[in-house]
Amino acid sequence: MLGRTKSDKLMEKSLFSFIWKYSSRQQIYILMVTVLTYPVIYILLELPKLIINDAVEGDNFPRTFFGFDFDQIPYLILLCCTFLFLVVVSNGLKFYLNVYKGRLGERMLRRLRFELFQRVLRFRLPHFRKVSSGEIIPMITSEVEDVGGFVGEAFSLPAYQGGMLVVQLGFIFMQDPLLGLAAVASYPVQGYIIPILQRKVAQLSRKRVKNIRVIADKVGEGITGVAEIHANDASAWHSADLSDRLYENFKIRYEIYNRKYFIKFLNNFMNQLTPFFFYMIGGYLVIQGDLSMGALLAVIAAYKDLAGPWKELLAYYQMTVDVGIKYQTVVENFDPVDIHDTDRLTNDETVDLKGDVKFENVTFSGGAAGQEVTDITLKVPEGTACAVMGPDGSGRAEVLQLAAGLVSPLTGKVYIGDHDLDKLTDSTLGREIAYVGGAVHVWTGTIRENLYYGLRHRPLTKVERTGEDLKVYKRSLSEAAETKNPSYDLAADWHDLKKAGVTDIDALDLKALELLGAVQLDADIYRLGLQSRFDPSMNDTFAERILNVRKELVARIAADPTLAGLVELWDPSTFNASASLADNLFFAVPSDAEITMDQVPDLPVVKSFLSSNGFDKKLQDIGVQIAETMLELFSNVSGSSGLLGSYSFITQEELPDFERMVRIARSGQTRPGLSDNDKSRLTGLAFKLVPARHRLGVMTDELKAEIIAARAKFLETVVKDNDEFLAFDPEVYLPPLTIEDNLLFGRPRVDRRDARRRIDAVIRSIVEETGLRQPIIFAGFGFHVGVSGSRLSAGQRRRIALVRGLLKNAPTTILDDVATGMTEEDKALRENLRSILSGRTLLFGTSNADIAAEFEHRYTLDQGRLSESET
Amino acid sequence: MTLETEVEALRKVPLFHGIDDTKLRLLAFISDRTEFQTGERLCTQGEEGDSAFIILSGDADVLVNTPAGEKKVAQVSENSIVGEIAILCDVPRTATLVAANSMDVLMVSKDDFLKLLNEFPDISLEVMRTLAMRLERTTRDLAEARQGNSGG
Repeated sequence: MLGRTKSDKLMEKSLFSFIWKYSSRQQIYILMVTVLTYPVIYILLELPKLIINDAVEGDNFPRTFFGFDFDQIPYLILLCCTFLFLVVVSNGLKFYLNVYKGRLGERMLRRLRFELFQRVLRFRLPHFRKVSSGEIIPMITSEVEDVGGFVGEAFSLPAYQGGMLVVQLGFIFMQDPLLGLAAVASYPVQGYIIPILQRKVAQLSRKRVKNIRVIADKVGEGITGVAEIHANDASAWHSADLSDRLYENFKIRYEIYNRKYFIKFLNNFMNQLTPFFFYMIGGYLVIQGDLSMGALLAVIAAYKDLAGPWKELLAYYQMTVDVGIKYQTVVENFDPVDIHDTDRLTNDETVDLKGDVKFENVTFSGGAAGQEVTDITLKVPEGTACAVMGPDGSGRAEVLQLAAGLVSPLTGKVYIGDHDLDKLTDSTLGREIAYVGGAVHVWTGTIRENLYYGLRHRPLTKVERTGEDLKVYKRSLSEAAETKNPSYDLAADWHDLKKAGVTDIDALDLKALELLGAVQLDADIYRLGLQSRFDPSMNDTFAERILNVRKELVARIAADPTLAGLVELWDPSTFNASASLADNLFFAVPSDAEITMDQVPDLPVVKSFLSSNGFDKKLQDIGVQIAETMLELFSNVSGSSGLLGSYSFITQEELPDFERMVRIARSGQTRPGLSDNDKSRLTGLAFKLVPARHRLGVMTDELKAEIIAARAKFLETVVKDNDEFLAFDPEVYLPPLTIEDNLLFGRPRVDRRDARRRIDAVIRSIVEETGLRQPIIFAGFGFHVGVSGSRLSAGQRRRIALVRGLLKNAPTTILDDVATGMTEEDKALRENLRSILSGRTLLFGTSNADIAAEFEHRYTLDQGRLSESET
Repeated sequence: MTLETEVEALRKVPLFHGIDDTKLRLLAFISDRTEFQTGERLCTQGEEGDSAFIILSGDADVLVNTPAGEKKVAQVSENSIVGEIAILCDVPRTATLVAANSMDVLMVSKDDFLKLLNEFPDISLEVMRTLAMRLERTTRDLAEARQGNSGG
């Protein structure tokens, strides 16, 4: 086995050993380049003196350089050019060094963060009962951030500033040892007091980090449990709780400031105290004639230069302690004693895991009452279905997790066939066992991604890259190697089709569809598919088929007068009273589905079109009329009644604003007049008008005719050679509209009861007849499920997780608390599952004895012990 | 097909006699103007009532279930409001309404009607008056019927 070394188990406890271990070579390089800058800087400081004293004020020219003679002016030019050259060199070196340090810091940070995340993945499951994501997230993201900035300076700064200090001190000692002693007199005092103060600061900042973590955790918990907060009117308590924590944070911070600035004060004070000794002792020595006046002045000047490096060193010391503490406070959380080996994650060998599931005297404890099992011995023969029965807290969930290899027994062994599960890696456990527990997780992403999640173990293909792509990829690979990150290629195909028993992705879709049917999720996804948008450039024939359904629908509507009364089809030459004014005017939709009706008036093409034929004024007038009517109707209605929200175009908050606009528009004054924004809003209001629904009487026949005329012009002048809009055309699929809206080339009439529902029924039957249901479901695969599947119901999430597990084709399937209802639906679902999994091992966890009775083998758990078994 | 014509029609409905025009306009605006063709059902006896119907034009047959099937008991026509009982108290529809010819109807949903009553107590009062009058008439009818029964 790989990686069972000590270093794999533990993280470096101190920041410096971490830095040295992973960047010693780079640190030495930085030091060397830093040393290289010394002579440059020295010459740069000396040159100005030479220029003034020798070139400008000097005499006895020419000077000889490398065998060349220079007169005064050429000599000045030579020196100045040298100066310029050195300025470039020294700044260039500085630039290079800063970038190098920054890069090193970022690499170390990437390595550290990845290591921390990988360690989280290596935690055993019970460990997650002790840690919360609210605490772990800031550790990996913000708390280690400072480490990155520190890494580049860790060795070079003390070396550089220390060197400067020694040089300056040496100079003072050479002038006079006594003055030298005076210069360093305060150092022992500072060296004694500052660490004591700093130690306290370090303790405080440790406390602060932990307090911030609690705050992060509480905020996270507040977000997850927000419904519970409102349902129990507990916001006051949570506010008080958080406010208390914030106060705690304030107190700690305040103490830190006090101490930190006291250290600064002490440092400043001591530094300015030293000149006192210089003047005293130096002055005495000069008067006595033991020291020359020039030497004293030189020493005082040198001392001034001393303060810089000393301050830098002090700041460095404070930073070292601070970052060191942060590092320690983070890494100590990532070293649980029972952490898994890295190999468990990275190993890619799969063992054929076939055979009976056997427990031999297994004991396990999850760390709390009701989470332990004692002395379990059982056997589920290969290829049979077995119910594991027991109420929550009986140890049922633990037994099933043990069987899935998700947790390890404290004593005893769990086998599948001859393999001890504790000795296997994720690459076997996660591929050969399908486990769906009571609490499933659906990932943020599409339904497709979630369904095929169980097949995404490793990248399986090699992506062909050329030119620039290849260069970019190679760079990312070398960076990954540099920071010990994995080199898995995200762009590759990760779907293990062989495991799912299919040969290509289309077959996988079909297989998923079949399983979705078995878990009765296909109807839901069909509905999602109808609501989804689809890009016809991906699949031309699908768009074609949708258009065929559209034609068929038109034919049926034409043939059936009752149907004809339910829809108003798009017709370029008539006004569609069930559609909005915008749809009627443009007879087109914005190509970008993200553009809302409120944004349309501000589109440049729309603006210029409207003003070109005077429609802008007309639409604003309609907007004013609508606003006026709304004001009249709703001005006496209280906002709390909810009438305004559901029926008006205008919300309660917008009323005063529109009232102002109407007043201005009606007064006829040009000043102050309506602002551009007002005009857009009035136009937007007009756009939303659906004449058959709103019946405000603004749409006169005359206006309708004008709109139809303008429509032709808009199509002719704007839509034709502008891809911002797509025209309604019976022969064209419109990607910005949903599939459903594309199927029906028109609008259900709003003045007929249940028109939408009745038309939908007709659409559904045509879709079924033409075999379009399947592609629409596949379109539904692209539905985005929201954050952690929040746009799906709990039942839908569970079923998706179920299909995910079934797609793996694992020889052993373990289901816990899935489909355990007594409803007909759940009964049918269980039967389907049994038939899909027949011939494979199935462990089925339930708390219901009647459901358990459906299985030929049963084990019953009671308080962590097997109470009976029937086989 | 504008609010104004609907308000004209609403004004003729006895229930809305004493109510001023702006409120009638609001009532018209929040209702759904719906067309029913001959034979289409407005509502069915026994189902939950979610809206009241104000007939703007056309007629509807009122049918009730009898052991022998549905039987027409009355006809309602222009300017009458039907189905308001079901939205005031949560009882299932007491009869079926079928369009006898092409109808134009304003449908007021239960929620909106109740909100409107909340907003404007004078409408509530008017509704109450109308209902009380109906009750009075029903009571009188009942008394007469009883007398008639006992008498002969």
